[in-house]
Amino acid sequence: MRRVAVSGMGVISPLGNSAAQVLAHARAGRSGVRRLVTPFANRLTAPMAATASFDDVVCLEPGNARMLDRFSMLALIAANQAVQGSHGALEDVDRTRAGVFIGTGMGGTLTMDSGYQTLYGEQSDRIKPFTILMGMHNAAAAWIGIEHDLRGPNMTYSTACSSSTVAIGEAWMRVACGQLDVAIAGGSEAPLSPGSMKAWEALHTVATMDIDDPSASCRPFSKNRTGMVLGEGAAMLVIEPWDRAVARGADILGEVLGYGQSNDASHITRPSVEGQAAAMRAALDVANIEPQAVDAINAHGTGTQANDRTETAAIRSVFGNLADRIPVSATKAMHGHLLGAAGALECVLSLLALRHRVAFPTVHLQVPDPECDLDYVNNRAREGFDAQVMLCNSFAFGGTNAVLVLRQAR
Amino acid sequence: MTTTYVRLSAILMKDYKLASDRLALDAPLEGLGIDSLGTVELLWHIEDAFRIKLPPEPVALLTLGDVVRYIDELVASQPAERVAAPPGEPAFRA
Repeated sequence: MRRVAVSGMGVISPLGNSAAQVLAHARAGRSGVRRLVTPFANRLTAPMAATASFDDVVCLEPGNARMLDRFSMLALIAANQAVQGSHGALEDVDRTRAGVFIGTGMGGTLTMDSGYQTLYGEQSDRIKPFTILMGMHNAAAAWIGIEHDLRGPNMTYSTACSSSTVAIGEAWMRVACGQLDVAIAGGSEAPLSPGSMKAWEALHTVATMDIDDPSASCRPFSKNRTGMVLGEGAAMLVIEPWDRAVARGADILGEVLGYGQSNDASHITRPSVEGQAAAMRAALDVANIEPQAVDAINAHGTGTQANDRTETAAIRSVFGNLADRIPVSATKAMHGHLLGAAGALECVLSLLALRHRVAFPTVHLQVPDPECDLDYVNNRAREGFDAQVMLCNSFAFGGTNAVLVLRQAR
Repeated sequence: MTTTYVRLSAILMKDYKLASDRLALDAPLEGLGIDSLGTVELLWHIEDAFRIKLPPEPVALLTLGDVVRYIDELVASQPAERVAAPPGEPAFRA
C-alpha cells in the first residue's frame, strides 16, 4: 500500500468558506447555527439551522450553471478551492487515473422539493426540465469530473450521515492500492428545504431551539442535549500518493492512514456500541496502529441522547483506560449536522487540528452526563495540543459506520 | 427587431446572464451555451413567458431566429387568451 497525502482542501460551510476561516471559528468556539429566516420558518417547530453563504461564481457556461442544485454548487466551489490549493495536483496526471468520490445523504433535495411543491402544492404539471439532472445524487460528482476533466471512477456514496467519510475512505483505498494517482474526495449537502426539514422534525431527532440563544441549541455530550441541528455545506480534499506530492513539492496538509467500516445490522436508527467500536477497531487495523497511538478523536457527536451515550461507550470499549487521556471533540455543536457532508467537514477540521496543534472545543457542554464521561474539550479549545494521529468518526442511520485515521504531515 | 425577439433577449439577459452584444437573430444557440438540453429548458421558460402551449413533438432550433419564428408560429396558431402579455410585462415565473 502507498502512503496517501492530503494536498488540497476546500470548504463552504457554516464555519466559513476557507480552511483559514473554519480554523479560526472552530478555535474560537463560534457557532454557525442561526435562527432560520425563510418563508417556511413559521411551519417549523425549531426554526434554526447552520447555513452556508457564499458569493463565488462557478465558472461554467450559464446554461450549465442553471443545471446545478445548491448541493452541486457547494460541491463544485469546494472542489475548485481544493484543487486550487493543491497547487497542481491535477497537472500532468493520466486523467483515467484521476477519480471523484463524493458523499451526500439527500442529493438535490431542494430541487425535488421544489418540484413536489409545483406538482402537489400548486397543482401544476409544469415541472422544470432540469429537475432530474439537478436532483440526482451523482450530479455533484459528475460536475466536478466535467469541470476538472477527471476520467477515472466517478463515484457517489449515500450512506446517510457517514456518506462523505465513506467517500474519502473509498478514495483513499483506490489511491493507496495504486489504482488511482489523484482523487477529489469529500461531501456536499444542502438539505434545508421545507420538506426535508419537516421530515427531520417528524423523526424527533432535531434539537429544541434555545430561545435565548439559538446558536447554542446543539449540545453534544451535555446531559441537557436535545438533538441535532441541520446544516448545509461542502468539504473536499485532494488526495494523492505521498511520494508524488513530495516529488512535486506540494504543501502536504496531512496523511490519511486508514479507514474502517462496519455495519450495525441491528436497527435502522438506534446506534450500536458494538457497531461503532467495530468500525474504530477496523480503522486501527487497516492503519496498522495500536489504540495507544491515537491522540485525539473527532466524534460523530450529534447531540442526540442515543448517539452520544453510545459513542462514549464505544470509545471506552476500544480504548479502555486509554480513553481518559484522549480529547474527544464534537464540532457539530458549532457547524451543525451536515448529514452526508458532515464527515468530510469533520475530516477537514481534524486535519486542521493536527496541522495547527489544537484540540477543538465541544461547545455548549453545560451539564455533565454520567453516561458521557470522556474528555470532550469542554467549551474552550486546547491550544498547543500536538496530536500526531486522530480518528474521525461517522455513524449513520442505516447502520453504516465509518472511521478515518488521520496523521499530521511529517 | 420584433417584439418577440426583444422579449426573448430580455429572458436570455436576465435569466441566462448573456450580454446583449452576444445576441443576434443569426446567433447559434450552441454558441450561447444553450445546447439541445438547454433548449428544452429555454422552451419551458418561453412557454410561461409567452403563454403558449408547446407541442410535444421535438423541434430543431439552431439559432435565436429559429426560436423567434417558432414562438411567433405558436402564438399565431393558438387561442387569443394564451397570447403573450404586453411588451415590457413579461410573465417571468422563475
